[in-house]
Amino acid sequence: MEEGNKTTLEVIGPSVEEAIENGLDQLGLPRDAVDVEILDEGQNGFLGIGSRQVRIRMTLVHPEIDMESQEVDFNGSSTEMVNPEDMDELEEAKFKAKEIVENLLRATKVKATVAARILEPEDDHDHPMILIEVSGKDLSILIGKRAETLNSLQYVTSLILNQQIGHWMPLMIDVQGYRFRRERQLRQLARRLADQVIQTGRKQVLEPMPANERRLIHLELRYHPFVTTESIGEEPNRRTTIILKPKE
Amino acid sequence: MKELIEYIADQLVEDKSQVSVTEMEENGRIRIELKVAKDDMGRVIGKGGRVANSIRVLLRVAAARENKRATLDIVEP
Repeated sequence: MEEGNKTTLEVIGPSVEEAIENGLDQLGLPRDAVDVEILDEGQNGFLGIGSRQVRIRMTLVHPEIDMESQEVDFNGSSTEMVNPEDMDELEEAKFKAKEIVENLLRATKVKATVAARILEPEDDHDHPMILIEVSGKDLSILIGKRAETLNSLQYVTSLILNQQIGHWMPLMIDVQGYRFRRERQLRQLARRLADQVIQTGRKQVLEPMPANERRLIHLELRYHPFVTTESIGEEPNRRTTIILKPKE
Repeated sequence: MKELIEYIADQLVEDKSQVSVTEMEENGRIRIELKVAKDDMGRVIGKGGRVANSIRVLLRVAAARENKRATLDIVEP
């Protein structure tokens, strides 16, 4: 994804479908963004003996995802639930955050369009969040491997905003809809793994993920009747685990 | 590249007057040296070097735009 980086990915899995899903999860891309070539169809073996995993290679079809595929459906993007007194402060923070991202991109010589808006909290325990959307051509350089570049851009922007307004303000930067594709996949993954936990009674440990992605797993399963989530380990290897709720 | 580091440092520190950024080229590699006031070191380095590392990732993007490689050193005055 990054410049000079490969635009292909080899993945293994117990079946072709699962290998594809694994790969798409890693890339944070929709199915139609990649071509799939089966390198090894694998072998079932007998009772697990002599079995071999399926191996596939995924190649990016559109290195830049076209804008039309971004039918982003936010869960409400109006600001009507926000307290009027907080509005000015929020609007000001939004304006400043946009300016910071524009300055950073200009200094990195990346040409892109920057838009900002305020996302309504998902529930009463959450806070409104500033969403900065960056769009343009050839922006994969701004995402990087496992979103490293995007997360750095977001972190530095948050720090500067914090310094300017004197307090922390939840902020998310998205490039070409990457975060929202990733969010949808993580929420699906969370539900699927929760089902597995219920079926097997065994906990599921996810890949190490950054805090914003772990948060999505927690959010998705917050009100789940049978499972609960917790994160273990130290950054950057902190992992979310899904476990059965203890019986009351 | 220097412009990027100057902007970030200026925005993060308390004492802007002590910020200085120099850019040197050694064997085709760019080396950027950032100096900030002693009390501002923590603001540009961060816990476990997290801030410095994020700045380096952004620097890498800026350098890649010019087909170059760059390193960032943060030094005390």
